[in-house]
Amino acid sequence: MSLNPAERSRGMRIKSTQDFAAGLFMIALAGLAFYLARDLSAGTLRQIGPGMLPKSFAAICGGLGLLLCLSSLRYEGERLAGWSWRGVLFVLGGAVLFALTIRGFEIGPLRVPPLGMAVSGPIVVIVAGLAADDRNVKQLVIFAAAMTLFCALLFKYALGLPIPLAPWLLGI
Amino acid sequence: MKSFAKIGLVAAAALALSGAAQAQAYPDRPITMIVPFAAGGPTDIIARIVGDHMSKTLGKQVVIENVAGAGGTTGITRALTATPDGYTIAMGHLGTFSAAPATYPNLKYDPLNGMQPIGLAGGTPILVVARKTLEQADLKSFVAAVKANPDKFNEAHAGLGSVSWTTCTLLKGQLGVPKLNAVAYRGTGPALNDLVSGQVDFMCDQIVSVAEQIKAGTIRAYAIASAERSPALPDVPTTKEAGLPEYQIEAWNGIAAPKGTPKEAVDKLVDALNKALNDEGTKKRLLDLGAVIPTVEERTPAGFAAVIKRDADKLSPILAAAPR
Amino acid sequence: MDMFSNLALGFSVAFSLQNIALCFVGCLVGTLIGVLPGVGPIATIAMLLPITFGLDPVGALIMLAGIYYGAQYGGSTTAILVNIPGEATAVVTALDGHEMAKQGRAGIALGTAALGSFFAGCVATLIIAALGAPLTKMALLFGPAEYFSLMVMGLCFAVVLARGSILKAFCMIMLGLLLSTVGTDLETGQERMTFGFPPLADGIDFAVLAMGVFGFAEVLRNLENKEARDVVRSKIGRLLPNWDDIKQSAMPVLRGTMIGGTLGILPGNGAVLGPFASYTVEKKIAKDPSRFGKGAIEGVAGPESANNAGAQTAFIPLLTLGIPPNAVMALMVGAMTIHGIIPGPQVMTKNPDLFWGMIASMWIGNLMLLIINLPLVGLWVKLLQVPYRLMFPAILIFCCIGIYSVNNQPMDVAFTAMFGLFGYLLIKLGFEPAPMLLGFVLGRLMEEKLRQALIISRGSFMTFLERPISAGLLLVAVIVLVIALLPSMSKKRDEVFTE
Repeated sequence: MSLNPAERSRGMRIKSTQDFAAGLFMIALAGLAFYLARDLSAGTLRQIGPGMLPKSFAAICGGLGLLLCLSSLRYEGERLAGWSWRGVLFVLGGAVLFALTIRGFEIGPLRVPPLGMAVSGPIVVIVAGLAADDRNVKQLVIFAAAMTLFCALLFKYALGLPIPLAPWLLGI
Repeated sequence: MKSFAKIGLVAAAALALSGAAQAQAYPDRPITMIVPFAAGGPTDIIARIVGDHMSKTLGKQVVIENVAGAGGTTGITRALTATPDGYTIAMGHLGTFSAAPATYPNLKYDPLNGMQPIGLAGGTPILVVARKTLEQADLKSFVAAVKANPDKFNEAHAGLGSVSWTTCTLLKGQLGVPKLNAVAYRGTGPALNDLVSGQVDFMCDQIVSVAEQIKAGTIRAYAIASAERSPALPDVPTTKEAGLPEYQIEAWNGIAAPKGTPKEAVDKLVDALNKALNDEGTKKRLLDLGAVIPTVEERTPAGFAAVIKRDADKLSPILAAAPR
Repeated sequence: MDMFSNLALGFSVAFSLQNIALCFVGCLVGTLIGVLPGVGPIATIAMLLPITFGLDPVGALIMLAGIYYGAQYGGSTTAILVNIPGEATAVVTALDGHEMAKQGRAGIALGTAALGSFFAGCVATLIIAALGAPLTKMALLFGPAEYFSLMVMGLCFAVVLARGSILKAFCMIMLGLLLSTVGTDLETGQERMTFGFPPLADGIDFAVLAMGVFGFAEVLRNLENKEARDVVRSKIGRLLPNWDDIKQSAMPVLRGTMIGGTLGILPGNGAVLGPFASYTVEKKIAKDPSRFGKGAIEGVAGPESANNAGAQTAFIPLLTLGIPPNAVMALMVGAMTIHGIIPGPQVMTKNPDLFWGMIASMWIGNLMLLIINLPLVGLWVKLLQVPYRLMFPAILIFCCIGIYSVNNQPMDVAFTAMFGLFGYLLIKLGFEPAPMLLGFVLGRLMEEKLRQALIISRGSFMTFLERPISAGLLLVAVIVLVIALLPSMSKKRDEVFTE
């Protein structure tokens, strides 16, 4: 099979763009896994090495992806739908900001001290909340403060989890 | 509600300021003790028992934080790279402090030169145990059989870097059969399960994990790898009595802080550790586990450092040469 | 009979005022942490261990056990209401439970889950009391080879979880297996597919993956699809199941209890398979399998019962063998050890009050959970009426804090966000994440057991066929697969890959 699915598809009409993309996605992931596992030895049946299963699974993933691509040329299916960047940006961005600020981080010259839940909590609520079409910033800010207070009481005090609250202010 | 929060903030700020003003008063806030393993394991239990009493002496809570991963090295790395102010300490063990440099080539800390030892908190003896249906009745005949026919045996261990892996690799190295079939499990529980059911032949592990099974007769104990018999298992001979005197190893737990921790904090931590280990209640809880209370010498930074170095010297050549 | 005098001893222990209070506190805390996404029983039990220092061992263990099965109850609430399975066992509940919630039947789903769990809990308590000791032998029959075959069978179940194309379900299972191999190799210590990135050294945490592909991705999907989420809000419907619902779910509950109870006894977290197996059975024997995945009440009743029964019978290996079958049970070992009771085969004879007291308290705990949960159903359903623009930031902050506290690792939160993106991509590509999670959960065990079995057999694959139990399990796997594929094979060519 010397032609890749994209080239093959030129001759045929893709009947399900969603399935076709899904197949490509599987092939890409399999390729990535193969690349990452390239140095791991597969070992022998008697002493299976660390690379045996990752490589086998990746090969099967790739095979299934190819099958998916081929079937998308034959059978009718869903079309690829649009993608909303705003949700991705704000919702996931909020979570990432939480991760970066809760214990602080250092990337090159950029250095943020551990800010704790007192800061990270409102950040995640407000940033994520901006993703809604019907957002109300004032309401969101009040809600963020209330949620953070509630979470601090619940997680830190009621459940006793060792999560930093505000190390820069309270030392805990 | 709002004004209440404001008062709280002001009070907290005042507290923080007063804390900064009298910088000598260590500790003025809770101390985090990182346990680099999941809660409920032997290291965690010792940390909780000792930490509980240390909190009383220090006047501030010693908070246990479990940061598991990579055979305990993830948690120790985090503790030793924290600000050296005495507020982050770690409870490591034989594996993380003595064996890790030889086990993990990319280790990001140096237990011998790059940290401030506090002291040993407890030791747990290691036993060589086998499935009860194994032919060999004692350690001597077992050793002879293993040496004669290593391919007949299956060793179980709790994963690379674990105490059972470290101590059994030492045993296999000393017996000259480093390549003996090793069956890796994720944790002591599943390994023990397969030993009880006879799927594998032998393993080495801490007394607290295997004592009850030995007492119930579901597995067979060959020997205990310490200088004296354990009061918990008085019938189990020491390795010296059983004919393998060179196999001496103990899975100790000890507290360390980042290098550069102020002397005042170190002294207070050493003092709190010693008071905990002198407390009858704490002692009894540790002894109930089958643990050994460290000598007064081992509870000091210098004594602890000597223990780390002794075992690192013993383990490193064998671990580094172990087949991976 | 001996069992009754023993149970009487147990109830006399469990019915002391202090122990009832502790049981109640445990159940309440368990329900709470179960409902909070991310915060699992493991983190909570670990945190509460020191608090139990002052208690007597029986009371302490009753409370901790309450937290454990309380969390199972609470976990299904989150799975049903917001489609976030906190634990592997709740993945199946989310499938039909959340669909029911979308149809305005959230209360019924929650009520069915609670009633089914209660029934399963009662039966499981009796099973432990009556058969605990003999069943121990079953745990010992399972060596690595049997376990591997069991995992293979479990993966065959996953095909049935698929709501659409079977080919895509296969893709997801394999992807789950592939993801499970990320991390340090247990035997050689080599890092596998970690990009040399230390936080990945121990592989991907289940909570991180599940919360990402289910929780975060669901939020993204809802933000985009305004109508779908408003349906949830507008319809509240009946709060508790009526007679018809109960009749419809009676048999699934019974079957689920049997399946879950049996699998729970197996060491190495066999309980995980219970809900999946129950779902498979229900879908296969249903008159109209197409209702599954669209809010079938059997798809909630069966798996929830299986889950609770398994959660309880998981105590059997711990109490009778002294060997913990999963991480929570390992914690219970720690708890017992702290109290000077080292779990082993002799606990039953040496500490009969502890053994039977705990068993009796399980029944009391299940009753309490029902009492706590049924009145709460109304409250939970009301929560769905919170405007979504406030609800999803709240879900998010709970998830972030919860994920952080699993390992106290901030990077885990960032990974969850990444898997949220991944899950969103999967949705866009028409993949169902549930089979992937099953593949992920089973993959790690499967690899371990495969390697163990082959080392012990010195490289002979025949070991899987020579051992009768292993061979039997593989046979079931083949049958399940054939049954799953046959209907689609017999259909028209155009539909070969869709069920």
